[in-house]
Amino acid sequence: MGPLARLVQKEFRQIFRDPLMVRLIFLMPIIQLFVLGHAVSLDLKGVRVSVLDPVPGPLSRRLSQAVWETETFTPGPPVATPSQAEDLLVQGRTDLVLHFPVDLERRMRQGNGVLGINLDGRNSAQAGQALAQVQAVLNLEAARLASGWKGQAPRPGGVTLQPLYLYNPELVSRYQMVPAITILLITIISAMLTGMSVVREKELGTLEQLLVSPLTSRQLVLGKTIPLAILSFGELAVATLAAILVFRLPLEGSVLLLSGAVFLYLLVTLGGGLLASTVSSTQQQAIFTVWFFLVFSILLSGFFFPVANMPQALRWLTWMNPMRFIIEIVRGIYLKGSGPADLALPLGMLAAHGVGVFSLALWRFRKRVA
Amino acid sequence: MRPTTESGLAVRAHHLSRRFGDFTAVDSLDLDVEAGEIFGFLGANGAGKTTAIRMLCGLLAPSAGEAWVDGLPISTHGEAVKRRIGYMSQRFGLYDDLRVGENLEFYGGIYGLDSAAIKARRGELLERLDLSQALDRPTGSLPLGYKQRLALGVALLHRPPILFLDEPTGGVDPVARRAFWDLIYEVAAEGTTVFVTTHYMDEAEYCGRVSIMVAGRIQALGTPASLKAEHGARDMQDLFLKVVGT
Ligand SMILES: Nc1ncnc2c1ncn2[C@@H]1O[C@H](COP(=O)(O)OP(=O)(O)OP(=O)(O)O)[C@@H](O)[C@H]1O
Ligand SMILES: [Mg+2]
Repeated sequence: MGPLARLVQKEFRQIFRDPLMVRLIFLMPIIQLFVLGHAVSLDLKGVRVSVLDPVPGPLSRRLSQAVWETETFTPGPPVATPSQAEDLLVQGRTDLVLHFPVDLERRMRQGNGVLGINLDGRNSAQAGQALAQVQAVLNLEAARLASGWKGQAPRPGGVTLQPLYLYNPELVSRYQMVPAITILLITIISAMLTGMSVVREKELGTLEQLLVSPLTSRQLVLGKTIPLAILSFGELAVATLAAILVFRLPLEGSVLLLSGAVFLYLLVTLGGGLLASTVSSTQQQAIFTVWFFLVFSILLSGFFFPVANMPQALRWLTWMNPMRFIIEIVRGIYLKGSGPADLALPLGMLAAHGVGVFSLALWRFRKRVA
Repeated sequence: MRPTTESGLAVRAHHLSRRFGDFTAVDSLDLDVEAGEIFGFLGANGAGKTTAIRMLCGLLAPSAGEAWVDGLPISTHGEAVKRRIGYMSQRFGLYDDLRVGENLEFYGGIYGLDSAAIKARRGELLERLDLSQALDRPTGSLPLGYKQRLALGVALLHRPPILFLDEPTGGVDPVARRAFWDLIYEVAAEGTTVFVTTHYMDEAEYCGRVSIMVAGRIQALGTPASLKAEHGARDMQDLFLKVVGT
């Protein structure tokens, strides 16, 4: 076993011997996922559906009946005008409003029947599920109707819903949240623990003992970062499995690409943790330093608020934020099945950040150690 | 493998200085320590002893001057110097959460010893330090006197020709200190140079030569006997007070 392997072995011994550390590493993702899981996989029942139908006719009646007959939905109070629809939603007296256009039958016969739909976007997971279920019911019913029509049959998707979210339309949906949470977990594990473990050795005086040994600064940096990189990938595996099994999130894209992107991102977080350790002499300082950057990174990453909705000045700032790019990448891989070509820009930016930050950390370490 | 020194001098400092801002912690230190000596590096709190030792070990860059360890200039041969010294810092430098054996294994590993060599050396050192029963004990559970002996063992793992011990016996009882100094004598008898700081004047008496540092400068240097005679002091305690007090 060479010096580097000994360092890695020692780090693992220390991590797994510290009960707090073990809890932090293994319970944190489980708790996060549980809390989120509760919010995401809520079964929909008794969702109130109101109908805004300026020209009531047999067609719209049949479609609304079909929706109301399912277990998920019940009739809400009738609605006469669009502004009344909004009021009822704001007051919480209905959950969802279907807008029937005046010329629905003509449009459906042409194969492009469009219904407007208003819903409460505050709980975007529920909203998304409700939307999907209404759509499914309408599709089925539209197909049944169409089979009764002579002549031109409507094309598939004869009725489409156009969602007009009312509340917090800018809120990121929970489905986008799950992949992003994975990144948050990895960030905390890698950046926080790297910074803390180096500074702890400073506090204890063992760092001096390492510095007076023939270890090179590169061995020292790798010895500190490799164990946490391995743990981070463990965390990624757990979170990915949970996303698929618990949240039923389809992982559309490649696991390999996901791992590669996370590797680039780890260069940023591990390097950042090391940099924090060079400016801190106590663990509290290291935690505070990492936390300071973490908060800004999260706010400017699209984690809660899509980057596209930010003011221009902030949008420029997000280019300096590696977390923005990794979140863009994981969401793309998870939800859209994006490949390397689709993600070339964020991957390139992430690689630039990763190499930059890690080199800076190595350089700072060499200077400090010499 | 006997520790050897190519030149006769184990440690040499020439105008070695270190400033922190506009405060001078070590002020133009000149010092020659022969190979095989037990050299007592004395001085009051804040005199600059630790700062000087950290420069000699390559942990801190000097502001001015140069030093040689085992004949090698520290400014250009830092890496080679590191292989030739053992350092026991003023703060206990072992991992409390690792077992005694694991600490030795780890430090042996980072000095490039392979598993077989570590095992052999570990057994030998534990025997010598009277710590054989403690192999599997968590280091943090050892009494302070044992911890200090273990730290000495770690500093000796790679058989360095020069040992820097910064207050190795701080805070332990006279029996433990006596046992520690027996070990110092043993390693010195094998030819290892021992550069040691202490605040215990009875320990200063055990040294071949001592220096007394005041505010970053060496104010007295010589054998305990000659210094006592020179300053008309009854014992080392008296000598120290006379040199530091003036
Ligand atoms: N990194 C530093 N930055 C600023 N001042 C320092 C630094 N390290 C040491 N000093 C100062 O230099 C002086 C000498 O400190 P040093 O630790 O070398 O003394 P010492 O002789 O080892 O004292 P002690 O017997 O208490 O261990 C002290 O006044 C200390 O405050
Ligand atoms: Mg000191």
